[in-house]
Amino acid sequence: MTDPVLEVENLTITYTVGAGTFHAVSDVSLRIYPGQVIGIVGETGCGKSTLAQAIPRLLPEPPATIGSGKIVFRGTDLVKVPKHQLPMVRGTGIGMIFQEPLNSLNPAFRVFDQIAESIRIRHYRDIGWARTFQGGTTPFDYSKPPPIATGSAGPLKAIVPDGALEQAARNRLQSRSDYRQEVLEYLRLVRINDPETILNLYPHELSGGMRQRIMIAMALSEKPSLLIADEPTSALDVTIQAQVLTLMKELIDEVHASILFISHDLGVIAETADEIGVMYAGRIVEYGPVAQVFQSPRHPYTKALLKAAPARYKSEGPLSSIAGSVPNLSRPPPGCRFHPRCPLVQEICRGQPPPLAPIEPTAIPDQPGLHKSACYFQKEVPGLP
Amino acid sequence: MNASAPLLQIVDLQKLFPITPSIGDTLSRRPMRAIHAVDGVSLTVMPGETLGLIGESGSGKTTLGWMLARLHEPTGGSIWFDQQDVTHLQGTALRTWRRNVQIVFQDPVGSLDPRLRVWQIVGEPIRAQEGLGRPDVRERVRALLPTVGLPPDCLDQYPHEFSGGGRQRLSLARALSVSPRMIVLDEPTSALDVAVQAQILNRLVELQRSRGIAYVLITHNVAAVRFAADRVAVMYLGQIVEHGAVRSVLEHPVHPYTKALLAAVPVPDASRRRTRYRIGGDIPSLVDPKPGCRFAPRCPFVIDRCRTEDPPLLPMAGTDRLVACHRAEEVKDIAPESLLATAGTPPPAAGLFPPVA
Repeated sequence: MTDPVLEVENLTITYTVGAGTFHAVSDVSLRIYPGQVIGIVGETGCGKSTLAQAIPRLLPEPPATIGSGKIVFRGTDLVKVPKHQLPMVRGTGIGMIFQEPLNSLNPAFRVFDQIAESIRIRHYRDIGWARTFQGGTTPFDYSKPPPIATGSAGPLKAIVPDGALEQAARNRLQSRSDYRQEVLEYLRLVRINDPETILNLYPHELSGGMRQRIMIAMALSEKPSLLIADEPTSALDVTIQAQVLTLMKELIDEVHASILFISHDLGVIAETADEIGVMYAGRIVEYGPVAQVFQSPRHPYTKALLKAAPARYKSEGPLSSIAGSVPNLSRPPPGCRFHPRCPLVQEICRGQPPPLAPIEPTAIPDQPGLHKSACYFQKEVPGLP
Repeated sequence: MNASAPLLQIVDLQKLFPITPSIGDTLSRRPMRAIHAVDGVSLTVMPGETLGLIGESGSGKTTLGWMLARLHEPTGGSIWFDQQDVTHLQGTALRTWRRNVQIVFQDPVGSLDPRLRVWQIVGEPIRAQEGLGRPDVRERVRALLPTVGLPPDCLDQYPHEFSGGGRQRLSLARALSVSPRMIVLDEPTSALDVAVQAQILNRLVELQRSRGIAYVLITHNVAAVRFAADRVAVMYLGQIVEHGAVRSVLEHPVHPYTKALLAAVPVPDASRRRTRYRIGGDIPSLVDPKPGCRFAPRCPFVIDRCRTEDPPLLPMAGTDRLVACHRAEEVKDIAPESLLATAGTPPPAAGLFPPVA
């Protein structure tokens, strides 16, 4: 089995603010292998965006604190990487697509300049002009052979081969037209018609779907091995959302990146992800292959969430919803965090938090232990109404 | 009052937003341009029923909702409420009429004044309509809060102390405070999580059953319309393209846009993964639209006639369905799922990402 691109182990993140300490992410573990699409689904405030931003260390620290755990990206524990070296990780290693493309694009720059910026930085890294991230054994850019490690120690180092600076200076002089060709290629990759015109437009002149495609092009142009998509389609209309999702699914086959796909929309996750993790109040409560989790959920929360989707008519009776509300994460309930709202609650649930354990008997014989649920009574979940 | 008389009827309603001409436009005497937000919409709402309005952003559904509540002045057409023309009500008459129609706004944060307490927010329509004093208003609000599922002792709290669902309940309580006969619900659940959305929708349906309020439910969420609406009108670029009973429209859509919309909704069912969605293109501009069907640039069934001639909203033979499509009879049996191709070779990559050897 190949090494995972990303391995998150027992990650715990807290926010310390005036009102107290919020346990946004507690004891979350994840593994993403090359080419996999992992979905994270959960309600507002369950910590999914915190998790997404913690992986490339984009969280403002403070107020956020990564209390414990590891984020091993291609062999390097990002939690231990000093702050000044983080820009090397972001971009070349981990690309990010944000929810609201208008807020994430710079309104003062044309599309060309925004995409060219990331291409230029990658270019500088290729020729050794900018420092680059050297984690792991496999190359970031799958189209290039792995860089030759020089003698110096440490996973992060500058490589400046002989004559690279002079070469880079020459490249820079002739760069603009070169970048133009490459930017056009990326715009075509994200299926933008008439890229020549789009190049010269500002973000406000584009529609929502178009902006999101520009964001995807920017993220891809750094050739990341991991793409984190944080609610990439939530701000879009359904027909445009369907276009963007279709595009992303096609790109998965083309760019060979792994994707961590975060959404509150069960339908979107069902369509894109291979495996999903369901988050509730900062913990992953159920994890497994998407078909398994949707067809036979083994955690009462997953089951309730799936049932709450309005899929009936008014005459067919009221919708089922989950009684109570999401707990305040500054004082999370002891034990299982879902227990105040759970129909199966018993004394044991209020004591120790249940571990994320493989379901019994295993439903997928060739991958035992892949479907996991953090519930003491997971066997009884299928019997719930 | 006749029981079968419509509560609200709008005829050929139109709203144009003029575009401020630039100096160049003025100097070269170009004609004034306008955004056709709502363009010739006719609808009726019966007492105690829910009319769902679905469409994507920019389809004019919010503008239409605001006109129904008389918050936007229509540029053409007329609004009849209870057999009375209210299109041009002014001053005191308008103010008195407002107790009939209330509105719940889309953004539960922006539509509640952060400096007012709960009883002031919810009681504002009561004060405006009935001129009651503070103790009476507080008493009325205290009695009202449980009907939307809020505790009656939160009278003196501020909106920021509530969750998204709680704020939307406050908005709903404010709309209910003067016992209106119709409420315009502008995306009441789009900012909410699915479990909270289910609670609010259940509450809305309960209130409708007990009080006989008519709703106009404006949303882009097909699932919410399916659950809450009796009839549904599908809007695209300021016009209604399809209108009928909710079950028949959602199960047997006729207009190609309705089909596309329904096909695009992601279903939380991993066994129904689709690979490819064939309706391309973006929503075109609403500035002085050209004649012809407005969906023609994106429509998979387009013929030459669609590009030149406006399709009228006509009843389908033998049904209560209204459809604005030249090819309605031909396309009516095409299933929405067929707009999704199940497999296909992706277009060739630009050579940027060669496969791993």
